[in-house]
Amino acid sequence: MASSPSDQRGPIPVKIVVAGGFGVGKTTFVGAISEIEPLRSEAIITEASVGVDELFADATKTRTTVAMDFGRISLNNGLILYLFGTPGQSRFHFMWNELARGAVGAVVLVDTRRIEACFAAIDFFEQRGTPFVVAINTFDGLRMHDIEEVRSALRLSPGVPIKYCDARVRVDVQGLLVAVAEHALRRAKPAGIGPTETKTNVEMAKSAPPV
Amino acid sequence: MIRPYTMTGGRSGTGLPKFALEALVAATPFGLRTKREFRWEVASIIELTRMETAVVELAALLNVPIGVVRVLIADLFDQGAVTIIDPPSEAIAGDDGHADLLQKVLDGIKSL
Repeated sequence: MASSPSDQRGPIPVKIVVAGGFGVGKTTFVGAISEIEPLRSEAIITEASVGVDELFADATKTRTTVAMDFGRISLNNGLILYLFGTPGQSRFHFMWNELARGAVGAVVLVDTRRIEACFAAIDFFEQRGTPFVVAINTFDGLRMHDIEEVRSALRLSPGVPIKYCDARVRVDVQGLLVAVAEHALRRAKPAGIGPTETKTNVEMAKSAPPV
Repeated sequence: MIRPYTMTGGRSGTGLPKFALEALVAATPFGLRTKREFRWEVASIIELTRMETAVVELAALLNVPIGVVRVLIADLFDQGAVTIIDPPSEAIAGDDGHADLLQKVLDGIKSL
């Protein structure tokens, strides 16, 4: 007898997207905390396609393969957290919709030597309303740029968290994932309603003045 | 190497339910009992999903494109050989997000 999904209580899958330019360290970031070696999966797409399920739809169109790396973390409360690295090349941005759908939020990794490489990701998550935090990858351990300088260069709104991170270091990556979940949680609670209000003073100061 | 077309009988997956990349697939007792009756690549999905395994993981482990694995999973689901555990919702985050679930995510990551 077949069972429907609702018949079974199992682990719940959730995901966080890791975005940024090509070569910025997304797979390193995923690998630093994943319980499995990051895996790579591929989708075959047509150049004119708008989604992976269009594959094989029209044999005359050029087919290409888009790859993404991902990792898995089993949390101790029945959740399985998947981390998805976005395909870096801009021609695969349509894949980001599928990745962002239902995501807790996103990390945008920034290499300050090529800061413009993350503009597309920031635009995408802003427009989509996906909660995201910005992580400045300190490849060589150097913090060459002041956080507020980077915030201003990226034209980030004041509410977007921005932190340093060494994508190779597990505790840094964990801190970023905590920041994503906290940011998503703040956004999920309507401001000013109920006793569960948890906005900090800083955020209160940055929100619109009360009417 | 089996061509993806061959594995899906030439079907493209259009019109099938679109499982999320992170949706979990779990073999049913029926699936485990009858897996020898399936083609080997389909049987290996049943074997891999003794423990819940995401759609995207199956694609990577079997080294086939995501669209192909979705077709195979849809077949197995239709025959009752696997169940699908969907992710909570489209709108977990954002302005109408699920605070309870997000709190669980936060707690879980903190305790890693």
